[in-house]
Amino acid sequence: MSKLRSVIRHEYLTIVKQPSFWIVMIAIPTLLAAIIGLTYFGNKSSAERIEEVARELKNVSIIDKSGLINAAVVKQTELQFSTDVSPEEAKEKVRQGSIDALIVYPENLAESKTYQVYLSTNDFTKSSSVTSIADNLLKTSLFIPLGSAEIIALAQNGATGDVTMFKDGEATGGFNDYIAPGLFIVLFYIIFAFSVSYMLTSVSEEKENRSMEMVLTYVNPRTLIVGKLLAVSLVTLTQVTFFLLLALIGFFAMQQVGGDITLPAGISLDKISFSPMPIFFGAAYLIVGFLMFAGFMIATAAAAPSSKEANNFSSVFFIGAFIPFYFLMPIVTDPDGIVVRFLTFFPLTSPVVALIRNAVGNMEGITPWLVLCTMTIFMLISIWIAVKAFKLGALEFGSAIKVSKLFRK
Amino acid sequence: MHEPIVRVKNYSLTIGDKKIVEDLSFEVFPGEVFALLGANGSGKTSTIRSLLGIYDVTSGELLVNGKKLTPEKASTIGYLPEERGLYTRAKVLDTMTYFGELKGMARNNARRESLAYLERVDLADKANVKLKKLSGGQQQKVQLGVAILGNPKLLILDEPTKGLDPVNRKLLLTIVDELQKNGTAVIYITHLMEEVERLADRLLILKDGKARAYGTVKAVKKEFGSESIEDIFVSIYNEKSSEATNV
Repeated sequence: MSKLRSVIRHEYLTIVKQPSFWIVMIAIPTLLAAIIGLTYFGNKSSAERIEEVARELKNVSIIDKSGLINAAVVKQTELQFSTDVSPEEAKEKVRQGSIDALIVYPENLAESKTYQVYLSTNDFTKSSSVTSIADNLLKTSLFIPLGSAEIIALAQNGATGDVTMFKDGEATGGFNDYIAPGLFIVLFYIIFAFSVSYMLTSVSEEKENRSMEMVLTYVNPRTLIVGKLLAVSLVTLTQVTFFLLLALIGFFAMQQVGGDITLPAGISLDKISFSPMPIFFGAAYLIVGFLMFAGFMIATAAAAPSSKEANNFSSVFFIGAFIPFYFLMPIVTDPDGIVVRFLTFFPLTSPVVALIRNAVGNMEGITPWLVLCTMTIFMLISIWIAVKAFKLGALEFGSAIKVSKLFRK
Repeated sequence: MHEPIVRVKNYSLTIGDKKIVEDLSFEVFPGEVFALLGANGSGKTSTIRSLLGIYDVTSGELLVNGKKLTPEKASTIGYLPEERGLYTRAKVLDTMTYFGELKGMARNNARRESLAYLERVDLADKANVKLKKLSGGQQQKVQLGVAILGNPKLLILDEPTKGLDPVNRKLLLTIVDELQKNGTAVIYITHLMEEVERLADRLLILKDGKARAYGTVKAVKKEFGSESIEDIFVSIYNEKSSEATNV
């Protein structure tokens, strides 16, 4: 027990004492915040600039051959129809710079769904502004017959669906039900991105720097593997706690400065439900999935002759864990399809597919248990392979072990 | 003589289809330096790994203090393997303390003993330096320190002077002498026959996994009619395999 504790402490401290660990931990949220902030402010200032330019644009000619543009709407924009010139003449005036821009709605607009915009400059902002004006003129003109401003706004922007779903005769929380079990998907990827690869590095470095033989003199391979697994789990816990702390600090900082915290997709913090079974299955799939991938990583690191080759081979597992996102729609909407069934039970895709399906609640009856049992069997196989590969390969410095050796008695 | 600390009896090891060691028997006694000799691939390292319980043996008995050794019971063993290396990204003192703990020492004791050793080998100022910042010779001294932490009853040194300069080589041999005087049994693997002549009380020469010479240095010299271990070693390896007979 004390050796296990020593292994855990050594492995844990080896990881968290690396400056690169904290650099990555701080860099990720910082980069994320920077990207979100820059995108938000960039889009905001770009939209404001386009509006500003649009307000300044007065010397714009409009030719409507379609008959769909409402004169009153045009008048409101302080622009004017050009009735005395042909499109060709107007186009020539734009080319020469006597008018800034020209919008031509053709006769067959309804069929072609295309109108022409001509500009006297190659300024992209002006181009966006004139296109925006042309689009607004068309849309507003088409919606005018509907009546009041509210109805026009409704037609243009649509309305929000307040969905109530029932399960077993009881109203469910709808999308808010997906949040708590959905967090396990996020957690899985955090673990996968950091911790699972730590397992690979930990074993392959120990093998490569030749410290393995001295370690194995005093520690049973099983104790060493379990120690590494537990240490990596603690590292994950540290990371999750750190990210949660950052999120909480951000949340309270926003509250202090009076910022409005709006969550996407109508998510409401007070409506998030914590149903026990989806949370149980989420946690179970996460743990079993993590152990399965960790087992594969240990086996890869022990079997490969160097950390470089171990890293190269491990990409197979990374691809496996990200494949489900290419099938997100079928996983959510067609859970009984053959592809989704296959992905649910295929070892490398099973954890993520199971977590997604658990989050959206499209596994019925005994399926969640069946998936958990299958994943547990894969996990046990992966750990068996890991221990076997470790025993065979840990002291094979500079050479790979053959797959056939793994299954030899 | 006392009871042997190591008793190997009819030990054989086969990996896959390859016979690595065949019917090997020998004993090592407390307070002696036992030289385990042989060319590369003769089965020396495999024998040590089997003795330590890292390899599962095919047949035979390998006992330390009358018991089969497992990693859990290896606290009285010091081992400096041929394939050397430590955690290059960890600090010297942390690494030594960790290995001390793995040997079953209390953390504080392991730390105190490590510091005393570093002081002795002039590395006290490197205690909080990462191993990768040390020279090859300094790293080797740290490894020897790891091996002798906790005053082992049995010390296994696999080519311990490989890559050491004369000053550090002398220091290492002095430490081995001291341990031997304190009753530690030393299994000494080397290709340097002058070290065998200087240190060893008894020896075993392995060829193709079989014992070809075994006994006190004096007895082996007498048996082969030579005053030089190196000549005996060369003559054994110059024999054709078919002429070889197990000792």
